[in-house]
Amino acid sequence: MKQIKKYFLLYSSLGIIFIIFFFPFFWIITSAFKIPQEIIQRHSTIIPRSFTLEHFHKILFSSDFLIYLKNSLIVSFSSMIIAVILSMLAAYGLHKLKFYGNKYVERSLLITYAFPGVILLIPMYLMLGKIGLLNSYFALILINVTFSTPFAVWMLKAFFKTIPSEIEEAAAIDGASRITILFQIIFPLALPGIASVSIFCFIISWTEYMFASIMINSNDLKTLPVGLASIVGQYQIDWGFLLAGATLASLPVIILFLFVGKYFVSGLTDGAIK
Amino acid sequence: MNYQNKEGWFYVMPLLFWLALSICIPLYIAIELSFFDIKIIGTEGKFVGFKNYIKIFNSTNFFKALSNSALWVLANAITQTFFAFLIALTLNKNFKGVKIATNWIILSFIIPTVVIVVIWKLMLSSSSGIVNSLLIQIQIIDKPIGFFSSSTGAFLSLVLINSWRWSPFLALIILSGLKSINQEIYDASKLDGASFFSEFFYITLPQLKGILFVLGLVGTLLSFNVFDIIWLITKGGPSSATTTLPLLIYETAFTKFRLSQAAALSVITSCILLTFSIIFIKVMGKEDEAD
Repeated sequence: MKQIKKYFLLYSSLGIIFIIFFFPFFWIITSAFKIPQEIIQRHSTIIPRSFTLEHFHKILFSSDFLIYLKNSLIVSFSSMIIAVILSMLAAYGLHKLKFYGNKYVERSLLITYAFPGVILLIPMYLMLGKIGLLNSYFALILINVTFSTPFAVWMLKAFFKTIPSEIEEAAAIDGASRITILFQIIFPLALPGIASVSIFCFIISWTEYMFASIMINSNDLKTLPVGLASIVGQYQIDWGFLLAGATLASLPVIILFLFVGKYFVSGLTDGAIK
Repeated sequence: MNYQNKEGWFYVMPLLFWLALSICIPLYIAIELSFFDIKIIGTEGKFVGFKNYIKIFNSTNFFKALSNSALWVLANAITQTFFAFLIALTLNKNFKGVKIATNWIILSFIIPTVVIVVIWKLMLSSSSGIVNSLLIQIQIIDKPIGFFSSSTGAFLSLVLINSWRWSPFLALIILSGLKSINQEIYDASKLDGASFFSEFFYITLPQLKGILFVLGLVGTLLSFNVFDIIWLITKGGPSSATTTLPLLIYETAFTKFRLSQAAALSVITSCILLTFSIIFIKVMGKEDEAD
């Protein structure tokens, strides 16, 4: 009896989680392949009754989607690389080398999140305007790195903790310099951690909308979220077009996640916050 | 091994330099801006002292947005805690496919917020959304609900959508805590005949204290700062029911073109959040100190 109750509880919570967190994806992606009439009809269908590629054709060949995609990829990869390098160094410094004031640095890193992006948006706009960097990839990279590094440092520090300090000490006795130790011992050992932090930084940059919508005004430099949002705002929404766009905009992160996602998730669930 | 104490600074410096450039300088500019009377970007204005601040404290918009923000943070905390624990406790069990489910539960967090907006705008659409369509089919309602047309409806829908985005991420962090709890404690409590709830409140929650502390702080700040989901779905409406402080700042600066006033609002908001963070760390972080 108790066993049955246990399974009932497990499967009903699984069911709820599935319907709420996975079903919307199924419905949206399949709807992107439906003909317009089926998408907008009053009685929505769960199993699609029609199939068409017209929306995907339209978004790939008669819209600026590919330009936005290129911009998003450039911005996200550059932000990711800079953020990972900066946070690897900082996390190592905070973890291994206890220096005066390190507790303050750590605390103030978390407090970075106390400043809403919108607060920085106005002065950042003025600042970048003055030095002529508005409307550039750099404007977006600057902010993406800022918003991804505090959490990245926190996660990486936890990873460094799992590396036994004896390994490092042995290398130091053998006469290895700090740089050698870092690049040949610590970073390779922390690779799963670095992978999970990288994907975190990539996601933060890939999904950023607010700064991109204000800092960039030339169409050639717009990122995907901004491009898509301009369609969402239209009075008459072309749903098929939009759904195809949404599906394609999610694809790169999903592909990335397919390869390194398990590091990210195990980074969050196994090693990290302890 | 003992290294020079100062060496650590060399490693932390590049990041601190970057953050100073992107946070400290803009904050300084914002504070300066808030004492002037500049409306549109690129124009000059004269020094007005605290006038912008006085104006804000005399306006109803500010207090409305402040209470909206407080409600927003509270409602999100409640829903996200519920969903995050539901997910974390479920994924902590052993069942077929638990690995795949754990890896992909975070899907709603990794896609662009704009895509989340697209998903839920269509799901909840009153003319062709599946939620309305299903509710009508099982005869809970007979007319489609306009989820975003009433004040309460729009507010609650946004809370759910935002929680949909964040709960899986929080769940994984909680799950990491659950996994680090020694299984023997549970086994012992089972022998003593502890119920699910007493187990949860007397073992699980206390063991998770460290994690819940960080989540409580960062989660509150992150919810407070949510902008794009609200802006892209309701633009703060209907009748400012979903205008939280970040939206009010954005609107003041970029649709009403009152730059200095928006800067003053930003400074006030920063003060509120900093005070909250410091109190939170002081009060809740006491035990954390021992770590």
